[in-house]
Amino acid sequence: MSAAPALHLSGRATIAGGPIFGPLDLDVPAGEWTCLLGPSGVGKSTVLRLLAGLGGALAFDGTATAGDGRPLTGRVALMAQQDLLMPWLDATANVCLGAVLRGDAAQRTRARALLERVGLADHVRKRPQALSGGQRQRVALARTLMEDRPVVLLDEPFSALDARARALMQDLSAEVLAGRTVLHVTHDAAEAARLGQTVLLMTCSGITAIEVPQTPAPRRFDAPETLAFQGHLLRQLMETQ
Amino acid sequence: MSVTDTTTSASAPTEDAEEAARYRRDRRMKVARWMLPSLVLVVTVLAWHLYVTLWEVPHYILPGPVLVAQSLIEDWGLLYPALLITGRLTLLALLFAVIGGVTLAVAFTQSKWAEMSFFPYAVILQVTPVVAIAPLLQIYVENAFVAALLCAWIVAFFPILSNTTIGLKSTDHNLEDLFTIYGATRWQRLRYLAAPSALPYFLGGLKIAGGLALIGAVVAEFVIGRAGTGLGLASTLLEASYRFNFGRLYAALIMISCMGVVIFAVMSLISYLALFRWHESALKRE
Repeated sequence: MSAAPALHLSGRATIAGGPIFGPLDLDVPAGEWTCLLGPSGVGKSTVLRLLAGLGGALAFDGTATAGDGRPLTGRVALMAQQDLLMPWLDATANVCLGAVLRGDAAQRTRARALLERVGLADHVRKRPQALSGGQRQRVALARTLMEDRPVVLLDEPFSALDARARALMQDLSAEVLAGRTVLHVTHDAAEAARLGQTVLLMTCSGITAIEVPQTPAPRRFDAPETLAFQGHLLRQLMETQ
Repeated sequence: MSVTDTTTSASAPTEDAEEAARYRRDRRMKVARWMLPSLVLVVTVLAWHLYVTLWEVPHYILPGPVLVAQSLIEDWGLLYPALLITGRLTLLALLFAVIGGVTLAVAFTQSKWAEMSFFPYAVILQVTPVVAIAPLLQIYVENAFVAALLCAWIVAFFPILSNTTIGLKSTDHNLEDLFTIYGATRWQRLRYLAAPSALPYFLGGLKIAGGLALIGAVVAEFVIGRAGTGLGLASTLLEASYRFNFGRLYAALIMISCMGVVIFAVMSLISYLALFRWHESALKRE
């Protein structure tokens, strides 16, 4: 993995003339886990899509760049709420997909090792259909690790999981993605409170940074600071309109 | 019901009894799935036999099942080669339908221009009754076998084209995005994403096309006749009707039906084998 760059995005986006997000400035520090917290519909996912080069039908007036000045293409991995696994491939083949597309030799051994690392040693031959939601997200995480990209964009990847699977997945992700520039879009204050080394609040009027507690992330889900911070974030969310 | 009855209902032995009852019910259903249609068949054939013998129906109006069975055995030397001829025509038509349908579907999804230019004509070709086209084919296509093949192909290829086109277009957009991030080429998108996504749709089309290819082959034999194909099952049937050989006519008809059933069964098997590991349509609910 090459050095993880910082991310900057500034500008405004519209689709078919209607605004998606107004003029804003986003700064994501290099090699850290940044949570972009905000209510639904303020354009959080659009910010991610622009950084991932998935603009599509969007009209974006501004810049989305890496801190080191080099293009982001080929340095970004994405995990979304849907696991984005190919239903016809087993877990190992799903993890290998990127390598196959690049024409690399089959790296099944490495894929197996990564699946083992995310706790799926017994499920390497199973197809997504035979796995639980949490297990599928683990496969997606193993695939992200396989890609070994310095920038990882997370679009509410844990929101479809039950509370326990979510907490386990958050810990695992924080562990295995450490050192990369992670931009994690979420609408869940509890999640941002646990994971964010930087927490940014996105509202219709722009992005504001919120001071985070001293304890290192991932913070314990039941620690008083975490819960207090969660309350603080939720209050901020409630007060913005 | 007494109170003691309700209190014991939650205990283990009752659950076992329930399980056993469910098991028995499943077994009964399994047996019934075979037994009931077989029973219907036996009763129908028996009624047919009784009607023909008791009312002394002449064999050129309705031959009895015994006569049909007799023809099936005695004329086997004639019917079996006919079966091979019709079978070959059907399978060739289906093969070309698959090649043509899939190629066109890929062309349509890869190029908007190709779709806009040719799709209306594919529809026209499909909605025009093949019986009306067949005599024209006979005139313009010199080789009668090719004419018959074209006739069967026209009927069979459209469901494959239409289904495969829909399948190739219904790729999950989120997976498309993933492939964009991977920097996949156009060919890789087709090979690794669109093609597997389209497979269930294609197989659905194949099931329909299998039956239609046989219908097309029969129509071709009727209209173009034995000149092109040799004496197939449909030509045999037609000829038997001219000769009032109704035993043979029914024997040929039964063989055509059986062939249709076998084609359907084989297509279903192919579909199952291709999909049972991952697709919703083939997965058992837990």
